[in-house]
Amino acid sequence: MKRLPLLLFLLLTPLSFAGWETIGGIAIVTSAALLATVYAIGLGFGVNELQMMAKEELYQLVALGIMMAVLVGTNGLINTLSSTPALSPGSDSLQNASVLLLDGLRDNVSTILTNIGKYDLAVTKEGSKAGQCSIMGMGYGVSGCGGYSMLPAPLSMAGGIAGFAMGEVSGMKRLILISQSFALPFLLPLGILLRTFKITRGAGGFLIALGISMHIMLPAGIVFNEMLVATFMDDATASSGYEASPTSVTIEKCSATEISPGQGSFKCSDLIGTDPDTNDAKAVKAYCDLRTSVRSYLKTILLQATLGPVISLLMMMASLRALTSLAGAEVDVSAISRFV
Amino acid sequence: MAGMLVCGAAFGTFLAGTIVPFVAAAAFTTIMLITLTFMVGRAMGNAKLTLWAKTELVQLVVSIVSVGILVMVINIFCVIDMSEVGGFFGITAPSMNVYNAFIAYLNESMTYSHNALTVIRYHLEAYTVMTYFNAFMCDFAVGNIGLGCFFGYSGQQEQPFGGYGAQMATLNAFFASTIIAYFSAMNSLFILLFVYKGFVFLFLPLGVFLRAMPYLRGFGSLLIALAISFLTIFPFMLGVCYLMGGVLVDRANGYAPSGISMDDYDEQIFIDSEDFAAQLGSSMVGPDAVRCTYFSSDSAACIATAALSLGIIPPDAVGESFDKDNIPGAVAFAAYAFIAAVFFPTIALLATIASVSYITRLMGEEIDLSRLTQMV
Repeated sequence: MKRLPLLLFLLLTPLSFAGWETIGGIAIVTSAALLATVYAIGLGFGVNELQMMAKEELYQLVALGIMMAVLVGTNGLINTLSSTPALSPGSDSLQNASVLLLDGLRDNVSTILTNIGKYDLAVTKEGSKAGQCSIMGMGYGVSGCGGYSMLPAPLSMAGGIAGFAMGEVSGMKRLILISQSFALPFLLPLGILLRTFKITRGAGGFLIALGISMHIMLPAGIVFNEMLVATFMDDATASSGYEASPTSVTIEKCSATEISPGQGSFKCSDLIGTDPDTNDAKAVKAYCDLRTSVRSYLKTILLQATLGPVISLLMMMASLRALTSLAGAEVDVSAISRFV
Repeated sequence: MAGMLVCGAAFGTFLAGTIVPFVAAAAFTTIMLITLTFMVGRAMGNAKLTLWAKTELVQLVVSIVSVGILVMVINIFCVIDMSEVGGFFGITAPSMNVYNAFIAYLNESMTYSHNALTVIRYHLEAYTVMTYFNAFMCDFAVGNIGLGCFFGYSGQQEQPFGGYGAQMATLNAFFASTIIAYFSAMNSLFILLFVYKGFVFLFLPLGVFLRAMPYLRGFGSLLIALAISFLTIFPFMLGVCYLMGGVLVDRANGYAPSGISMDDYDEQIFIDSEDFAAQLGSSMVGPDAVRCTYFSSDSAACIATAALSLGIIPPDAVGESFDKDNIPGAVAFAAYAFIAAVFFPTIALLATIASVSYITRLMGEEIDLSRLTQMV
């Protein structure tokens, strides 16, 4: 008597789902048919091991059916969670909110990188100037702009850091776009399909975990980090100086042949609001301006563009590990964590 | 193509002529050992030995069935059309079997990484040429001609483009990461060849034999699980990446992200060191003419703009004049190449290792593969 309801359940399973769920249903029915064959062989030849295996697999099949039902329900939960206004500021879903944030961030980092490049270009041009005068083989050469040579090295390093931030933001946006296109519509159902069959169960569990982790955790990391940064910026004591917009830096023209007399040491405070006329004072003023403006870049480069993707990837890895464990084949994902 | 390698007559001959006889020999040897043990057990009246022999006989059947399943799955993968698999999920892709899709994705990710390398290298070459560009501006200048040099050598020397250190630092780092991406894709191709010619040849017969030996069942199970997983799961996972190739490697855009045209980055443009006329020409027009040559898709119009303004592009026109100078685009391209050629193949490898772990458990021995994953 128990077999009739089971048969009806298996036959009706595909009809109870729509879209990708149909494929999962077909997989369940196919797997059940295979199990029935194995069980029949075991019964026919009196092989207890085969019968035991078929029974054990039947439990897995039932577990899979439950998992699919939970996922169908969770899909709605995930969508509800994604579209919660608190988690999707300025957008209709968590994923779109993170894409919007990353777009803005990419523009900001791009502007910063362009600015650093401009300063580097101007500073090095001034620092490379040298005057020459020679007539009939006799003459002199003088470089009065050596003071600027201290600036290109830190600017190169700043460019490198900003470039890394740009790469991280671009990579993260790409991963979120990939997850939007494939995580739920492709990886998750494919994982369910693969998990149905014994030989591919490990890979199937991994794909299920990957689909869910990419869909939820990647964008959540970006949005959560943005919330952390906003909270930090709201604390005036902690964020003092970081909130300012980058100040403009003027690289004064240097005269290659002008050697200024020694004027002792300069302090940045002495040069604020001044219009220096000697080469070394101009170089020091450029340094002071750059030093002041660097702090205002930190929020974008370090907090948002570097820390955000790192948190996001770590959240995804942690989720991946937990979910693969739940799916029955825990994977050590430290290999991917090393990309961070 | 891998499909021809695995699904073709050569692999079939290799399987039937080499692997199956080896597996059969290993199975036969094992059966002989089991039979001898059983006989000794019966002769000595030792129940432990007879029980061991019976248990190992069942395990031998499990091993042989595993090999049979592997051969069956390979044959199924040879006929599965990935475009039809994609069709289930609304994804369109060219028609090919799993093994061809696997190798097609790796080839595509190599092309994609190489394109990223080309774009970054173009920028690096241009910046390097410009960094070493020296200008000597004679005193008492009238336009681009300085009267100060008529009777001697009086003027000011400078490097108008000496300061690309920030950009070059960025691009050098991403150049290295893109080379890693390119090599990773090649490495996966090498793994493929090694799997087809090494794993199958060695692991299957050894696995069948060792699984029936005392204390070596775990090792034998691992060998069979590795062969099964790397011959089926690894290609299938990369075949899945192939279905995602429309986004992963921008297949529709000629393997470059939108906004980047590979035609813009033809490295033949760089002036030969002996092309005196070109160097003199660009020098006479002014410093920005050099930038126009490398970073403007319409360099003639760009140079005309520069010439009208005494060699300097008006600040307002900088963006539109140097449209090929696209560091954010180059950096993003490198990041995308890393995702396509390193991140997702690593995901495929991890899924394969997850499968190894599951199959070994299925065969009765749990293997801790955490050390193996740390090698990835």
